Amino acid sequence: MKPPCIIIGGGLSGLAAAIRLARYIPGIVLLEQHTRLGGLNSYYYRNNTLLETGLHAITNYAEPGDKRAPLNRLLRQLKIPRKNLTFHQQITSEIIFAGKQRLLFSNDFVLLQEEIADKFPDSIDAFFDLLNFLDQFDPFAPAPFRSAKAFLLERLADPLLVDMLLCPLMYYGSSVENDMDLSQFAIMFQAIYREGFFRPHGTIRDFLTLLSDHFLSLGGEIRRGAKVTTIIQEGKRAIGVELESGEILESDFILSTIGHQETRTILGQQPVDNEPNRLGFVESIFQLPVESIPLLPRDRTVMFYSENFPFSYNQPVNLVDCRSGVICLPHNFDQITPEKTIEVRSTHLASYSNWQAIRADRLAYDKAKKQVRQQSLSVIEKYLGKFRDNIVYEDTFTPITIERYTAKRHGAIYGSPIKIKDGNIGYDNLYLAGTDQGFLGIVGSMLSGVSIVNQHILPRI
Amino acid sequence: MTNDEIKDLILEIIEDIDDEADFDNLNPDEPLRDQLDLDSMDFLDIVMELRKRHQLQIPEEDYPQLATLNSCVNYLEPLLKNA
Repeated sequence: MKPPCIIIGGGLSGLAAAIRLARYIPGIVLLEQHTRLGGLNSYYYRNNTLLETGLHAITNYAEPGDKRAPLNRLLRQLKIPRKNLTFHQQITSEIIFAGKQRLLFSNDFVLLQEEIADKFPDSIDAFFDLLNFLDQFDPFAPAPFRSAKAFLLERLADPLLVDMLLCPLMYYGSSVENDMDLSQFAIMFQAIYREGFFRPHGTIRDFLTLLSDHFLSLGGEIRRGAKVTTIIQEGKRAIGVELESGEILESDFILSTIGHQETRTILGQQPVDNEPNRLGFVESIFQLPVESIPLLPRDRTVMFYSENFPFSYNQPVNLVDCRSGVICLPHNFDQITPEKTIEVRSTHLASYSNWQAIRADRLAYDKAKKQVRQQSLSVIEKYLGKFRDNIVYEDTFTPITIERYTAKRHGAIYGSPIKIKDGNIGYDNLYLAGTDQGFLGIVGSMLSGVSIVNQHILPRI
Repeated sequence: MTNDEIKDLILEIIEDIDDEADFDNLNPDEPLRDQLDLDSMDFLDIVMELRKRHQLQIPEEDYPQLATLNSCVNYLEPLLKNA
């Protein structure tokens, strides 16, 4: 039977879109090029343990009763009862601008307000005005790019506070250098400061299994190792897809979650001209035995730091820029009891082109990975305390690693700086969801899959 | 289906979307969305459930006719006459 809709990409936006469709339409097919689902949020095995690839924390925490909260809306749309899931909330996170100022925040928004009142007393009234503005602002209304940085500088007047507030929001979701779109700012401000961080119980593998089992129970089909090489088209209609194996699958609708440029490539189109720099990242994992817990802060979940002010969020000149970064302690969520090992994770901005230049020379590439990891370790120990003697396993992902495993162009986890908010890429029955549609983070990307399906496919299929 | 059966069908669908929905003070002539705190995404579920359960294809331009409980009944009555 010809599937009514094919979804390309088994990451979180693709899985959410697939479940949403399968609730009402039989025969939905999800294609994933890899043997494992998850896309950017997947896992692998090393040192007899499961290591997660992307997940630090999920944003958009909401209490069960808050019906309008994105998390609860998402679960309703997928028909996953909230009571079937156990969530662990963050303890406290911190923004540290070395030698300048520190700000704590948690899932209780009052903490951040008190911190700002205490440390930026001259800006607290302006901060409350900003909250009033955000309450009235509709970030989903179509609008051209508007600089969040310029807007905040004008409102809050204090450039240090502006940079400190922007730092976590950029690191967790800006595909634009040194700025973000005001709408994106409003979405991320809500997701991180007003709602906050949590983790599902277990690993990302358990979460992916829950989603894929749900999809299968609704009658959907998942094909792994199914790389799409071409979207077959007739004018403005997509007829079907051709897989690497040569197999052709026809379909009435196609939803691509693999990125805009990546979708253009399999449509046989040229890349969009003048795309600004894509932001790359390097992530390191340091695994420690559980006995090392007392060496590390007990009450910090994520730490965002910058050693330089103004904060620079752009493609580095070198392989990596450790002058700023994100440190995550994934065992520091409420009610998590690690068994044998814990992890420290660090993320820094990286230059895809510099890694690309050395990738062919395996020795140089491996050496650079190790050096960059050491560099990261030296910086993050300043904030965590010394723990290097306890490391039992360590690994580093570069933009090349991410590109290889996720097929994200240039390994850019937040995709293209240019977003297609309505998912419309000029076809009658082919749409874009996921990273390049513009909602970021796990809850965001899943809502992207759901909302593009709701908007373009379900009413017409 | 009788008018009361259609009403029950709509309420049953809404309860399935949100098991905490409170129908006690529901005004049948006021928009369902406002009273039950449903958003446009939830609203689409009503349309899709009608399609799944009764093979009704409701065109997008007719969605506004499902705004209130009474308007649902008026709109669906001829379509579900023989259901």
